[in-house]
Amino acid sequence: MPLMKYLRKTYTSFATHIYDVPPRMFAFLSLIMLSFLPFMGIPTTTLQVLIRINFMATLAVSWDFLVRSGQASLGHALFFGMGAYGTALLFKYFGWPTFVTIPLSVLICVGIAVLIGFSCLRVKGPYLAIVTFAFPLVLTGIVKYFPELGKDAGIKNLPRIFPTLTYTERWLAEYYLTFALMTISAIILYKIAYSKTGATFVAILDDELATKACGINVSKYRIMAFIISGLFAGLAGAIAAHSDLFMRRASPTFLSAEYSFVPIIVSVLGGMATIYGPLFGTYIYTLIDSFILKEMLKIDDWTRALIFVTIVLILLIKWPRGIGRTIVEKLEDLEEPREIEEVQKEKLKKLKAG
Amino acid sequence: MNSSRSFMMDIIILGTISGLIYALIALGFSLIYGVSGVVNLTHGAFIMIGAYIFCELNKIFLSTLPVEFSQLSPILAILSTAVLTAIIGSIYYRLTLHQVLGDEVAILIISLFGCTIFQQIIYLIFKPVWAAQYPVPTLITGELTLLGVRVEVDKALAAILSIISFIGLWVFTSRTKVGNALRALSQDLEAAMLMGIDTAKMYMLAAGIAAGLASVGSVLKITSYAEPASAFMWVEYMAYAFSIVILGGLGSVKGTVIGGLVFGYVHTIVESRFPRLGALMPIFPFIIIIIMLIVRPKGFFGKRVEME
Repeated sequence: MPLMKYLRKTYTSFATHIYDVPPRMFAFLSLIMLSFLPFMGIPTTTLQVLIRINFMATLAVSWDFLVRSGQASLGHALFFGMGAYGTALLFKYFGWPTFVTIPLSVLICVGIAVLIGFSCLRVKGPYLAIVTFAFPLVLTGIVKYFPELGKDAGIKNLPRIFPTLTYTERWLAEYYLTFALMTISAIILYKIAYSKTGATFVAILDDELATKACGINVSKYRIMAFIISGLFAGLAGAIAAHSDLFMRRASPTFLSAEYSFVPIIVSVLGGMATIYGPLFGTYIYTLIDSFILKEMLKIDDWTRALIFVTIVLILLIKWPRGIGRTIVEKLEDLEEPREIEEVQKEKLKKLKAG
Repeated sequence: MNSSRSFMMDIIILGTISGLIYALIALGFSLIYGVSGVVNLTHGAFIMIGAYIFCELNKIFLSTLPVEFSQLSPILAILSTAVLTAIIGSIYYRLTLHQVLGDEVAILIISLFGCTIFQQIIYLIFKPVWAAQYPVPTLITGELTLLGVRVEVDKALAAILSIISFIGLWVFTSRTKVGNALRALSQDLEAAMLMGIDTAKMYMLAAGIAAGLASVGSVLKITSYAEPASAFMWVEYMAYAFSIVILGGLGSVKGTVIGGLVFGYVHTIVESRFPRLGALMPIFPFIIIIIMLIVRPKGFFGKRVEME
């Protein structure tokens, strides 16, 4: 009987929270489809692209969470790289197994996030973004300088997370691991972002002074956002260092601008500060980038980067809401809540009107 | 005693020269911040395209000018580079940053992505040359002795040109009507608008001057120090410019010059005394940026920084 009760409760909760909300139903169906995708006979190269999507989406969602708390970072690769180097160094010097090194390196990332959160309390907006832009570059310089950190080649030959699998099974396992990583982190971040704590983050994003005046400890929340964001980005980095997709090594590429910029690109495509936007954006980005531009039109890397950066620039100027967010808002068919852009547009109008 | 004294002179003379050139590179960044409050990271890209445009124009002038005027080609090239980069800079500003004025984070993302766009365009145009990096011509050879220190003529000339640029900018902003309008904008936006100053045009002008100064600075830097240009040099130079401006204080021209000099001295000391640390040199400006922004965000001479 308790089982039936539990099932009924689950069904009601599903019906009210997911089935009745079109965007969520869409997300739910996509998740189911994506989880069966590897069995539809897709080649390994496509699977690799999908694994890459999972990593990028995790990174992008964690970046987006930070934006939601009013702290746009231009160097999110820092956490990605720290996660990778943390687990790699722990393996290199202590020889511990992956299930010890990955959580420990995530803890290291959390520690770094606390440090950065504390030190960035005094700076805001563009200054914060520049400080965060500088961090991964400094770390890259340090990594390339010390031979103990592997210099340009990085730390190689890290163990696999699932060591006893055949070639095909390995990719499948990696896909499901990263898919679980993406889904779970997106759900957790979405839950936090749309909870009472998340409302505080948005309040800080809108008006920090007013939030302070409401008796909210803004510093605490800002550091908290850094910790949560750094935790998931670090986890993605730690898993990436052990994955075959990244050649099982922690190298300076983990700290490169690609892992700072692609989260921004996909978030702008999908809609910034929404959590679901970057997920949507990552798939659109990869669909256009890998499948249409690369496979079908055979455009080289440089031109593709140029195309995307130009698109993002135009989107940021002309359509800051993003594609995913516009669709979701049309689907929900709700009265549009006052959002950041509108507030900013008002500020701009005031500025222009004098 | 004698050797340490000559070492000191080395640091002072060479550090001053490189500091002045760095200050010229950073000056535009400070100017545009002071006038419009925009942190324009695309400054790094203008430094980069300035170098490329100069090299190309120099080649064209060398081949088209008659032989007896070939000495004039670098001068013509520098002037036309400054004008061209200024035009590109102001058009870029009008098309992108001006549209999102007031939204600081969007400005930052757009200006950083703008750098990437210029980088890709330069890479796509100069593709074959990029791998070996773009060769830069030497303008004048020869050495002179300055207070017992041997200095290359082109470095000394570059320092003098930088000083001329500072004075030129100072005269422009304090003695002309347009310059006064620029200063008025930086002091009080609303009052300036009430006086009938066209802000959009003034911002474009400031962006153009900033880009022009950046290109002149980069030309002087790469020709006198024989540094090859590359499509990726903007990261390094943007970091130099930003750290200098942060040292001196955003929006303050005096601060920028002093910041540039400090940067030049430190750079020279590290290069001559601790060559082992040379490999860490690229991250040095970033460390300055991080420490300065966290510890003293308004710099040593900053006038107005809206942090709170």
